[in-house]
Amino acid sequence: MTEKIELLQGTLDMLILRTLLFGPAHGHQIAKHIQRSTSDALQVEHGSLYPALHRLERKGWLASKWEVRDQRRELKYYRLTPAGRKQLAAEESNWKKLTAAIARVMWPESGEV
Amino acid sequence: MFRRRKREQDLDRELRDHLEFEAQERGDRRPLGNMALIKEDVREAWGWMWLDRLAQDLRYAFRTLRKSPAFAATAVLSLALGIGASAAIFSLIDALLLRWLPVYNPRELVQLTIAGVPGAVPPLMESFSYPLVQALETHREIFAGLCGFTGGRFPTGPRESIEDANGAWVTGEFYETLGLQPAAGRLLTPRDDKPGAVPAAVIGYGYWERKYGRDPRIVGQSIQIFGKPVSVVGVTPAGFTGANVGQVADITLPLAILPQLQPDDPYMIDASSWWIRVVARPRPGISRDQVKARLQTIWPQLAESAIPASMPGALRRVRGTWIEPRPGGSGWTDLRRQFRQPLYVLMALTGLVLLIACANVANLLLARATARRKEIALRFAIGASRVRIVRQMLTESLLLSLSGAALGVALAWLCSRFLLELLSSGQSRAIALDVAPNWHVLGVAMVVGIGSAVVFGLVSSGAQPARKRRSAAPLLVVAQVALSLLLLIGAGLFVRTLQNLRGLDPGFQREDVFLASVDGSKLGYRDARLAGFYGDALRRIETLHGVEAASFSAITPLSGGGISNHVTIGGKPIDREQTELIPVSARYFETMRTPVLLGREFTARDDARAPKVAIVNQAFATRYLPEGHPLGQRLGVGSQGLEYEIVGVVRNSIYESLRETPPPTVYVPLIQRIGRTGAVYEVRAAGSLVQVASALRTILQPMLPGLPLEIHTFDAQVERMLVEERLMATLAASFGVLGLALAAIGLYGLLAYTVARRTSEIGIRMALGADRRRVILMVMKRAGVLTLAGVAIGAPCALALTRLARSLLFGLGPRDPTTFGAAAVALLAAAALASFLPARRASKVDPMTSLRCE
Repeated sequence: MTEKIELLQGTLDMLILRTLLFGPAHGHQIAKHIQRSTSDALQVEHGSLYPALHRLERKGWLASKWEVRDQRRELKYYRLTPAGRKQLAAEESNWKKLTAAIARVMWPESGEV
Repeated sequence: MFRRRKREQDLDRELRDHLEFEAQERGDRRPLGNMALIKEDVREAWGWMWLDRLAQDLRYAFRTLRKSPAFAATAVLSLALGIGASAAIFSLIDALLLRWLPVYNPRELVQLTIAGVPGAVPPLMESFSYPLVQALETHREIFAGLCGFTGGRFPTGPRESIEDANGAWVTGEFYETLGLQPAAGRLLTPRDDKPGAVPAAVIGYGYWERKYGRDPRIVGQSIQIFGKPVSVVGVTPAGFTGANVGQVADITLPLAILPQLQPDDPYMIDASSWWIRVVARPRPGISRDQVKARLQTIWPQLAESAIPASMPGALRRVRGTWIEPRPGGSGWTDLRRQFRQPLYVLMALTGLVLLIACANVANLLLARATARRKEIALRFAIGASRVRIVRQMLTESLLLSLSGAALGVALAWLCSRFLLELLSSGQSRAIALDVAPNWHVLGVAMVVGIGSAVVFGLVSSGAQPARKRRSAAPLLVVAQVALSLLLLIGAGLFVRTLQNLRGLDPGFQREDVFLASVDGSKLGYRDARLAGFYGDALRRIETLHGVEAASFSAITPLSGGGISNHVTIGGKPIDREQTELIPVSARYFETMRTPVLLGREFTARDDARAPKVAIVNQAFATRYLPEGHPLGQRLGVGSQGLEYEIVGVVRNSIYESLRETPPPTVYVPLIQRIGRTGAVYEVRAAGSLVQVASALRTILQPMLPGLPLEIHTFDAQVERMLVEERLMATLAASFGVLGLALAAIGLYGLLAYTVARRTSEIGIRMALGADRRRVILMVMKRAGVLTLAGVAIGAPCALALTRLARSLLFGLGPRDPTTFGAAAVALLAAAALASFLPARRASKVDPMTSLRCE
């Protein structure tokens, strides 16, 4: 069993947006996907997932619709909006800069300096 | 609403789906997880739904409050009374003392006052003479504008239908200094304020509306003022009613034309009449201190140049004085001097009422919170967050507080109109102040309302452990008792002051007497003709049916002024000060029922040709005349030192103020020094007052063509002098009763709640043999302890605080033991009453029932 890591503040939004890049998904699928991609290192609690989904929807980065897909019942599917794609790009580049900066502090000798 | 329900359903479905998936994965059938908490967080994310949620909270709060109407009504009413009382007094303070005039940048304006006047009773003198204002006006290097203004009353209209219009006299720069623009035509300018200028007037916006239906053609027309044509040149802007606060200037005239309109009184604008208030706008960059400093050097010379050497008294008075500039943007009124202290005392009293009311509500909420402990615990258990519950409680107390505040403001509106009437009853004309709740008042009420809501909400939302809450309740009741003791003592002091003043023997009998002001000099009569006119009117009045006695005098007691002159005995001045000198007619003392102690009273034979005679009062006789031989002494009166022989001594009677001991007074026959004095007739009625009043009017009005005739009762005149005391007594008593009632409710609430909680304990006690009397005693003893604790705390506070109101009291000290005792007794009685009901309920506890409940 992998050790669980605390999700960094603000990263859940980015992970949700990134997950939805593959196509529409419902809440449980999103949580499962994040969990599986990280080999269970990141567990998404529904207590934080749903507030996040609704918040992103309010900001216009996600759109939702009740649809019947591979399951035989109607479920609420979330989809990335164009604004959401832009937001994802912005957050991704921010995140890269941040991790690069942190890396330079943490492991100075391995840098390209 | 519909959208909200749909959203809620969607969320519910979405979360259930999720939990089902999870359950499937676990191979479990039951979904796990705290749905309520997640939902709460998701709703948070909706954000813009807060309004919706507020509505939900409000609905819930409303429902819970409706379930306990007695609680809600008591809380709302307590707050409404507390907030209403303070808002009413504050409205008045705001209108009278604080509000800026609606002029350009009122903060810049300064009022000039003369400070350091030797022996002046208000330490600052606010009035200047017209020449002084003109001299000050020339100092352009200090003032961008400087003007003088004073109130006036203008008989307006044609001779057949004269009305007394409220007005103001101003100097030419008045409107420029204030920075006002006309609503029509133009405003007065320095050119209108020149001797011999064509008489011009501006009218107020309200007068324009009322009288002329806002017809712009009035500009340029001429109206009759003092029987002379004056041309209306413009209308002042809406909202501006003059610089005399409380007195609307319907007509404003420039001072320089006064001699044209009132040819008899040219002295009003010479150096002898100090009756003009001065407001100035310093040049930009010149502070109030700089104004003072610069005038310091200029003033002595300026004053001496504007006061002629023929007025040594006035010159002496200004010597050593300086000009003290004070904030002037809120206008001027003499009411401030009279009512500032009473209003502040009343504001403090209403503050106490408000505190008691708040304590009441806090107590109610505490009891309620304890009763609701189970409900709140349950809500925590099913996942409500602390924030959520606090918010719910806040909403509830906000609903209570704001309802209370709204009701309070409505109450304040009614009360402040009543207050204004009360104040007006002390004036010869109604005080015109806008006391409708404005933003200041609403703001204060809202702040109090919301502030108390937050405090109460936090208190009752279980922010503290239950044990602490229970011990807070008795403390609140003790505080209430202490505060209401303060209120009751205040009420007692002011009510007894009024009683003392009313019960005072003034030296005359004021009942059943009418006073009619008749100024024959305004009809052009002088000296002998005036005396004939007055005598004729008196004879006609004496023949009226129902008139027991009648007389006239130059002035009546408590009319708000006095007449004094230099008096000498045997050629030597009796005192440095002047002596009260009252010209009266024959039978004056008989009409007033002032006993003649020695000698005789004036008769019809003491006329202009007869030897000059005088009557003195007891105070004069004992102070200045040789003991036992007052009669026959000769007095010199006035600058010519006319000789009068003393023929009688009368009982002391009050003239200027009920609070003063009667000063040494000399009475002389009005006929023997008539000049062109106005007269007031005193008419003592034996029969129906209404009939006598109308008969007086029928007889006197035809004798005064074109002059207003004013008839009022002597009683009304005396009561008018007591307006301040009546205001204090009425309001302090109301606040006292209010505070007492609120404290009694608080005590009752606490005991009822305690009894309810201790039902089983009381049951056990009774089962073990305690009888009903003991149970009643037990409950009442607790009430007694709380009340006594309150009295013990309140009494020393009262001892310390009542000193501040000393100058408002009469005939008793601020530590009057009777008043203190009576207040404590009243409180204990109220406490006994409030505790008896819960005590009786406790004694009716059936031991079996309560034991079974356990």
